[in-house]
Amino acid sequence: MRMTEIRENHGVMEVCDRLRKEVGCDFVALALQNEVGPDVRWHYASGNVNDKYKRITVRFGKGIAGKIISSGSPMMMSDFPKDIYGKVTDHPIMLAEKLISCYAVPLFFNGSPKGVLLIGKRVSYTFSKSEQEKVKESGEALEQLLRSHILGGGP
Amino acid sequence: MEQSVSKQQIRSYIIQSQEEEIKRISLELHEGVGQNLYSILTGLQFVESGLSQPHLKNYLHEMTQLIEKTIQEIRLLSVELHPPALTTLGLLPAIKSYIKLYTSTFGVLVDFESIGEEKPIQEQKSVAVFRVCQEALTNIAKHADTSNVKMGLIWKEEELRISIIDFGGGFVADELENNAVTLGIAAMKERMLLTGGQCVISSKIGEGTSVEISLPLLEGKES
Ligand SMILES: Nc1ncnc2c1ncn2[C@@H]1O[C@H](COP(=O)(O)OP(=O)(O)O)[C@@H](O)[C@H]1O
Ligand SMILES: [Mg+2]
Repeated sequence: MRMTEIRENHGVMEVCDRLRKEVGCDFVALALQNEVGPDVRWHYASGNVNDKYKRITVRFGKGIAGKIISSGSPMMMSDFPKDIYGKVTDHPIMLAEKLISCYAVPLFFNGSPKGVLLIGKRVSYTFSKSEQEKVKESGEALEQLLRSHILGGGP
Repeated sequence: MEQSVSKQQIRSYIIQSQEEEIKRISLELHEGVGQNLYSILTGLQFVESGLSQPHLKNYLHEMTQLIEKTIQEIRLLSVELHPPALTTLGLLPAIKSYIKLYTSTFGVLVDFESIGEEKPIQEQKSVAVFRVCQEALTNIAKHADTSNVKMGLIWKEEELRISIIDFGGGFVADELENNAVTLGIAAMKERMLLTGGQCVISSKIGEGTSVEISLPLLEGKES
């Protein structure tokens, strides 16, 4: 599925937008591995303040999204850039969207982490257990919605 | 006078040996680790093609994808440490390829232009200029809050001039002079001074920031 198609996929949009309302966060974004090759990009965002995310390629193992794709585990940052791993510049989506806190979960396809669902705020914040749970549920909903596209592959 | 000259030489020496070490690690990553991973990838792809059980095939496919990602990341790390173009092709191609990487990393677009004919520059100096441009662009991604940057190179007989202008938030440049924490900008100026050039930064709140770099091209010829 190409980027434009995902942006126009109403199911995906709905899940992201609803999550943003329910958790009351400033930003929600979805990163997915491209059909071909190892590149991971941000395919959809809600609450964005510019369109930098569209040009960003997530680096494997770098930043919160890259770490999640390489580790397969959820992650949180509460007060960026305090107590981060790596350099400030390893976190482009935080810089681009001026986020201070975020929580993100992996999306699994074919048993491997190939996507990331991220929520963020532009203030420092610690996401509660129930908010984390909501992100996980939305992540699972997105896995279902996108499964056929990622695995089916066909046009 | 004597003493300040030798201090400058020491600073030059420290920077240069660091750059050489960075370059060595970068090459090692690219030619050593990267090449080995590539051999492993080809081997696994061969094995995958010979497998018939679907679950093993699938497993191996995920594994080759992981290696592909790792190879890509090693390559980017290597380029980030020391762009190979800087040694083989020169400053202009190195900057151009860095800009591509920069846009795909931070999503910031760079409107780039180079006027005049590129002149050969000693590697030590082109590394310095490259690092200063890198810091200027990184600062924009970190602090400027803008999606657009204008970068221009002007090659003259006697000097190279580079300007990097953003139309972001800007800052109060004078306050930096007595601020010990902001070493990035101080280092940019120092590195250009060591090459015999200059780096001037001006900024206005709400209007943006400009970094002007100049490198004399004539003296290089004597040495
Ligand atoms: N292009 C820019 N736009 C806005 N502010 C900037 C820019 N470049 C630098 N600054 C400001 O100047 C400060 C010093 O920059 P620097 O010395 O590179 O340190 P650092 O990048 O580590 O913060 C930054 O913290 C930032 O506030
Ligand atoms: Mg800096």
